[in-house]
Amino acid sequence: MTDEWSEIGDDALGRRLHEELPRYAAPPGLRGAILAQRPRRGRPAAWFAPTVSALATAMVLVLVGLTWLPRTMSGDVVQRIVNGVVLEHTRVMMWGARRPEIVPAALAQDSGIRLAKVFVGDDVLSLEASEPVYIDWRHGVALHYRDQDGHRITYVALPAPRMPMPDRQRVQVDRYKPALMRVGGFATLVWKHGDVACFLVSNMVSASDLERFKEYFVRDRVATEPFLLY
Amino acid sequence: MASDDFERDALRHLDALYNFALYLSRNPSDADDLVQETYLRAFRFSHRFEPGTHLRAWLFQILRNTFLTFYRVRGREIAVAEDGIPDWDVPMFHEAPEESSRIADAHTDLERAMRRLPEEFRTVLLLAEVEGLPLEDVARIMACPVGTVKSRIFRAKERLRVLLHDYQP
Repeated sequence: MTDEWSEIGDDALGRRLHEELPRYAAPPGLRGAILAQRPRRGRPAAWFAPTVSALATAMVLVLVGLTWLPRTMSGDVVQRIVNGVVLEHTRVMMWGARRPEIVPAALAQDSGIRLAKVFVGDDVLSLEASEPVYIDWRHGVALHYRDQDGHRITYVALPAPRMPMPDRQRVQVDRYKPALMRVGGFATLVWKHGDVACFLVSNMVSASDLERFKEYFVRDRVATEPFLLY
Repeated sequence: MASDDFERDALRHLDALYNFALYLSRNPSDADDLVQETYLRAFRFSHRFEPGTHLRAWLFQILRNTFLTFYRVRGREIAVAEDGIPDWDVPMFHEAPEESSRIADAHTDLERAMRRLPEEFRTVLLLAEVEGLPLEDVARIMACPVGTVKSRIFRAKERLRVLLHDYQP
């Protein structure tokens, strides 16, 4: 008896476990308790599965569509162009205009935008350069100003007949209502002049600077009239 | 949501599951809860069961996972005395046939020794040797490779031998 277990082989031990280890049957009430607590449901109607399937498909399509909407709807187009305008502004801040000698009137042939009237500066803002630009696959016009404190302000006009205004960001400035958009520490005022989208960008973003920036906008807005040549 | 056929098939394994649950939890009340929770989950997630695969193994897998989640983590395993007899000590042979005193003693020793094994050794012996499940199914239930199952069986038997030897007069 002493060596009964210590000398038993693996197979024999397994066999004895299978044959001799007591087995306990479930108590009589357990089956009933399980059946009583199981989730019961009515059989779904024939239309249920196809309806759920259709709704799920519609939801997936909407979700997929939502991921594309920002790329195709107006809001994102505006944002994209504003980003390009800001990049152009920062480039000029760092490197200056590429062709500062160009007078605004000469830009029409390059850009397709004629400036019927041009704000050429006053005692507050001075026009430093003008040049053709190419932003978001569009040829346009850029005018670069500097105020008395050295702030640079860039005006850009681009053909954008189908670009709607971002209504939620519109602000009242004098009798105009441009959209105010902020990108990376720059403020941009956006408005439409017929089929031409106009942008005025500066790094004047503090409360007081922003008020001055709005004044500059009024000066430019009143005195500049772009239109598409073709 | 389980179909009536699925429920009927699953309930065929009730006794085996209860036996497994009792050896895992070492407590009839906990074993009841464990089995009920296992069936509740099985019925709720019956759509995940792949027809044609081993329903019995799938149920054992749910039961063990439930045990590990709710019982072992909560520290509800009953402390087992050195002799392997828990406090509740159910009538040990109420289902056992009439047998000789020597065999009954052997039952007692086997059961006591089994109860003193660590859970992973107890489980592997119960599934592979007592229930006779294929090693692949045991591996799936225990979420480990077949080689690990073989190794655990070997080590479990070694440990069991030592424990059984302790019971010898």
